[in-house]
Amino acid sequence: MLLSIENLCVKYGNIQPLHGITFHVNEGEIVTLIGANGAGKTTILYSIARLPPPEAPRVISGDIVFQGQSILQTTPSDVVKNLHLALSPEGRRIFGNLTVWENLKLATYARAKEADLGKEYDYVFTLFPRLKERRNQRSESLSGGEQQMLAVGRALMTGCKTLLLDEPSMGLAPVLKYELFRKLKQLNEEGMTILLVEQNANLALHLAHRGYVLDTGTIVAAGTSAELLGNPEVKKAYLGG
Amino acid sequence: MENLVQNIINALQWGSFYALIALGYTLVYGVLTLINFAHGDVFMVGAYIAFFSATFLLTTLGLPGWIALALCIPVTMILTAMVGVTLERIAYRPLRNKGAHRLYVVITALMCGLILEHANLAIFGASRKAFPQLIAEHVYTIGGVTFTNLKIAVIATAFLAFLFLHWMVTRTRVGMAMRAISYDKFAVPLLGIPLDRIIVVTFILGSGFAGLAGLLFAMSYPVLEPYMGALIGWKAFIAAVVGGIGDIRGAFLGGFLLGAVEIMVVAFFPSTFRDLIAFTVLLLILTWKPTGLFGIAKTTKI
Repeated sequence: MLLSIENLCVKYGNIQPLHGITFHVNEGEIVTLIGANGAGKTTILYSIARLPPPEAPRVISGDIVFQGQSILQTTPSDVVKNLHLALSPEGRRIFGNLTVWENLKLATYARAKEADLGKEYDYVFTLFPRLKERRNQRSESLSGGEQQMLAVGRALMTGCKTLLLDEPSMGLAPVLKYELFRKLKQLNEEGMTILLVEQNANLALHLAHRGYVLDTGTIVAAGTSAELLGNPEVKKAYLGG
Repeated sequence: MENLVQNIINALQWGSFYALIALGYTLVYGVLTLINFAHGDVFMVGAYIAFFSATFLLTTLGLPGWIALALCIPVTMILTAMVGVTLERIAYRPLRNKGAHRLYVVITALMCGLILEHANLAIFGASRKAFPQLIAEHVYTIGGVTFTNLKIAVIATAFLAFLFLHWMVTRTRVGMAMRAISYDKFAVPLLGIPLDRIIVVTFILGSGFAGLAGLLFAMSYPVLEPYMGALIGWKAFIAAVVGGIGDIRGAFLGGFLLGAVEIMVVAFFPSTFRDLIAFTVLLLILTWKPTGLFGIAKTTKI
């Protein structure tokens, strides 16, 4: 088990968005968390990434275990640097005032000096050729789809081995959605572990190996993607009948 | 013609002090959207640090002036940088970690400046300090235009400081991180970048150059008093705003613009008109371009 969330309860101020969440991700898997708006999906990712205050959800009980060790005391930058775990946040959050190239370069901030970055830039540019074409443009001038690719590319440049993705399909035209999800599949086949949060449950379950269904801070269903796709209640609530 | 060249040299020298101080305001604002009102007093502390280290090196150790100066520059910059970092550490960071509104941090900065002024007054008294002469001032006259080696050094230092900071902000990863923070603080730790470390670097740079400005100012106008940083600090802040706060090109240009306006006013009007006309000009510039010369109107993104 690479990552395991054990009976996690967190609070923002007096609001408690998670009520005892338990799930796990194995190495090499794509696992998806699906559920409606406000179910607590993003909160789970923020908790794993150990975001600093004021965004940070405060863990009141339970544990987050990565490679056998609790990471509750780990700083957000060490999560990236030492655990090789990167979050591509909802809404992309790319740095619009930097060029595409600068966004990617900045992501290598915590990397070891001897790392062979040239190869990795090439890898990102092969995965997303559009980024290469636009490498010297200010990134706020990119289209929504290109910005999402940059957000994923930026996360990859941190040297991550586990990728947390928050709503990567949001706001993308269907063609771009499928293209992005094909790339994610390719990444996974090359060894990347992915934890995917999506509102588009249908798309997510067709990519993922396993999934968990969240409702107001608790997990209400779990199983392989095929099981969830066949589950009548999941179908009714999240897959449009 | 000679008169004009003379005034341009004077304006460049006078504007250099504003530019060096304005750079510190703009760096901190760019990263934290904090108007660090203690910055003018950090400049004053820099001048005093320069005074004590210069006196120590010259009188106590009896070193020759140019060696004392060569040592004085790094000592002043490092110690003043430490003052800036200390302010960040004990005053601004705790507020930031508690998620305090920006207004409270600005007020805190204002109080930190007053504390620096009055601590100086309490410890060293109200009497003015005469800055010792480190190097002999040479006066050169070319075709009716006079300048000194010190004036040229001040102007050159301001340009070098600008080129260094511009290189740093556009070319290095630390500089990119500083720009990234100014755009979206949230996503920076997600790339493995420790936010607090970048903020400390920002304060080191801003305060270090304020210290350098303090040393050069004390060498040029060798009378020190606790309130010397207040007015020049305010003016440098206004220069940074007119240039477009958050942009180092703006701070640099704004500093020289203010210096030029002040010198030109004095050249044609009684010197009592200086600040009145200078600030009226700056007010008109802001009315015409409220975000400053290099500023971009920020749109809030969700």
